Amino acid sequence: MNIVIVGTGYVGLVSGSCFADKGHHVYCVDNNQSKIKDLKNGIIPIYEKGLKSLIDRNTANGHLEFTTSLKDAVGEADFIFIAVGTPEMTNGEANLEYVYHVADELSEVLDDTRYRVIVDKSTVPIGTAYEVRKRIARNIPTAAFDVCSVPEFLKEGSAVHDTLHPDRIVIGTDSEKAQKRLVELHRPFSNQLFVTDIRSAEMIKYASNCFLATKISFINEIANLCDAYGADIKEVAAAMGLDKRISPHFLNAGLGYGGSCFPKDIKALINMADQVDYDATLLKAVQQVNTKQKYRVISHLHNVFDHELAGKKIGILGLAFKPNTDDFRESPSLFIIHELVKQAATVVVYDPVVGHKARLPDKVEIMEEVTSVFDHVDAVVLMTEWPEFIHLPYESLKHKMRTPVVIDGRNALDPVELKNNGFIYHGIGVR
Amino acid sequence: MKIAVIGTGYVGLVTGVCLSDIGHTVICIDVDQEKVKRLQSGDPIIYEPGLEDLMKKNIEKSRLSFSGNHQTGLAGAEVVYIAVGTPQNHDGSANLNYIEAAATDIAKNITQDTVVVTKSTVPVGTNQHIKEVITVNLVHPVKVTVVSNPEFLREGSAIQDTFSGDRIVIGTDDEQAAYIIEEINQPFGIPVYKTDIASAEMIKYASNAFLATKISFINEIANICEKTGANVDAVAAGMGLDNRIGPKFLSAGLGYGGSCFPKDTNALVQLAGNHEHDFKLLKSVIEVNNNQPLHLFQKAKQRLGDFKGKKIAVLGLAFKPNTDDMREAPSTLLIQQLLEEGANVTAFDPIAIENARRILGDGLTYSESIDETLQDAEATFIVTDWEKVKNIDLATLEQRMKYPIVFDGRNCFALEAVKTANIEYYSMGRSDIANREKLAVGGSNK
Repeated sequence: MNIVIVGTGYVGLVSGSCFADKGHHVYCVDNNQSKIKDLKNGIIPIYEKGLKSLIDRNTANGHLEFTTSLKDAVGEADFIFIAVGTPEMTNGEANLEYVYHVADELSEVLDDTRYRVIVDKSTVPIGTAYEVRKRIARNIPTAAFDVCSVPEFLKEGSAVHDTLHPDRIVIGTDSEKAQKRLVELHRPFSNQLFVTDIRSAEMIKYASNCFLATKISFINEIANLCDAYGADIKEVAAAMGLDKRISPHFLNAGLGYGGSCFPKDIKALINMADQVDYDATLLKAVQQVNTKQKYRVISHLHNVFDHELAGKKIGILGLAFKPNTDDFRESPSLFIIHELVKQAATVVVYDPVVGHKARLPDKVEIMEEVTSVFDHVDAVVLMTEWPEFIHLPYESLKHKMRTPVVIDGRNALDPVELKNNGFIYHGIGVR
Repeated sequence: MKIAVIGTGYVGLVTGVCLSDIGHTVICIDVDQEKVKRLQSGDPIIYEPGLEDLMKKNIEKSRLSFSGNHQTGLAGAEVVYIAVGTPQNHDGSANLNYIEAAATDIAKNITQDTVVVTKSTVPVGTNQHIKEVITVNLVHPVKVTVVSNPEFLREGSAIQDTFSGDRIVIGTDDEQAAYIIEEINQPFGIPVYKTDIASAEMIKYASNAFLATKISFINEIANICEKTGANVDAVAAGMGLDNRIGPKFLSAGLGYGGSCFPKDTNALVQLAGNHEHDFKLLKSVIEVNNNQPLHLFQKAKQRLGDFKGKKIAVLGLAFKPNTDDMREAPSTLLIQQLLEEGANVTAFDPIAIENARRILGDGLTYSESIDETLQDAEATFIVTDWEKVKNIDLATLEQRMKYPIVFDGRNCFALEAVKTANIEYYSMGRSDIANREKLAVGGSNK
């Protein structure tokens, strides 16, 4: 099959290279010339495990090509995936400018010489596929194409694996012809193909992400209660997770969700509800909890240092919103760093991947070595549970610190071991 | 093992019966002599599938008995389960009067070292309190250890849940006691999770509160689906295929009820409040839940204009199928609202009528027949998804009802099936179906 993927962000690059790896011919299209030039030279703009070798292999054998010209790419295309960004606007609404731009362009460049399935891969509000169809249909007879929704569920950090081995693939369509083709295309990836109507498919994406965000905010609230009542959130979460109706995933207490999906999707769904005059009380509460949760680190520091952080030197471990990614959008770490600077603390920070990419306040020093984060600091705060942070020789690093205080924002370290080594340790809801 | 169980309500009786069935000698104690007499004769009093048979079987084998006297009941018991009620105080907190009374009774009557197991759902810290109450009131110098062993059974499938639950939580700081309780439960063959007391207490509240959250979440999604043209059943099915989410507790409808979720969520909000923590998320869960019956009511009101003098059928009273429990049932709020607006209500339920009458009074007609309930009705509300209700032939609705307008609070029917029937159909989080010209009802047609 000939496949065109429009947009070379996370979703576009990963799904494009995975389709290519199954033997299809894939064009990845982006109007950013330097990005396409880089990709042609094997430079991948994002960090994602396994992605580079996948792209290298499939460009070498000619299955995967990059271009800036949508017109050139779509000539022979059987499938066209729209995988451009849908950034949030200030009111939380998803910005569909890029999606509609692609639709308008397709309307210009497509012809009716063959039937094509056009797929919304981007996370878009309910009903968007119908608008995309309307726009394309301005110049193209509707018999020549269908617009469907196949939402993406990959997780940054394991995007390639998630695409090759998904729990399920959701196919939203009202056309039997398109359904047949999409089922055929996706069958090699999963036995669990869930076919439904377009609007429900669009909603499944939002509802799934928002539910997982709810799960995170829920367990964080329970962790805060555990702090108050002397229970241990790790124990509570483990036993809750044994209940099959609950499942153990997404029950790690910490500083809340971040990244490019959950915060955006939850805002967008609240906004969608607002637009139809429904007050999404629960979703709003989930969001509030998440906003507040990051400050648990600050309150732990306040407790340890008697509410005075001015002049204290704090070492931060991690900038990425989670391990195995260089994504620091909405990362709790950034909030904490800004808050510490605001409270006149001195901040040093290390992250193995993000490094200088993050825009930090001027006074913040980015270290090249993880161990430098411990030099003469009053406390070290773990913000991202990179494996290398978990296995540090804390006992010997303790001597570099002014006071042996560790705040574990991810409950990733062993409290007993640290306490036995003379550290003052605070996690999130752990004893 | 010789076991005594204090309290013969839901949890106590099911626990006692099941423990006797796996071979232990169990005596269940209750202060209500009348109740003890009925229980001893094999009448479980509450309705629970399978309970009566199991009870009779073990009474016959002399493994299960009942007593109205703490002294005789507790004599010789190695392990005592506390399974008394913890009703809600006005502020939502749990009332511990029965717990404290049980602890005092234990202290006064035990004559040997005893493991005291708390089955009742109690706020974090209560087991510590139980231990103190027992220690202070002890008559004989014996050793008492306290174990938190929260109950996870569901009404309607309590027996099955006890025999094939997902996990047994044992919370104690005494290894020997943990071992004894693990041994007692060993024949169930269910994974055991051992932890400290405070965490065990929290596990129960957190688990129930999470499931309540899941229900309110899908209900909120349903309300958004309704307004955006998506189908919540499809959305839930698509979500449920994600292993991190799971398909359970994702049925949109009129919300949760019963004796656990409403009480436990309120108690947890209260527990948080005690530490000046505003548990907004859980408050919103409760808010969404309280609103669901009213949501369906409003939809009906919009369609019908008013209810004055109209015959309205309500199918199902119990808070869920296979139980006669009416506590916090969504039907209550809905029916009260209908009566207030002057509707002439007939309600069907196969087993909950007696309990419903106690709450709702005689202002409506009760019926054990679906056909009779539907006869000449101007609208029907489906409130409990009893098997019998789900199996209604849609043609019956058209034939029996004066105007076949159905408000289905449990999404009992597939939209495809409804489309072929000649009825007007409104459900939760799915498109409305009106197959024929809307009928002039009470002159309020839009």
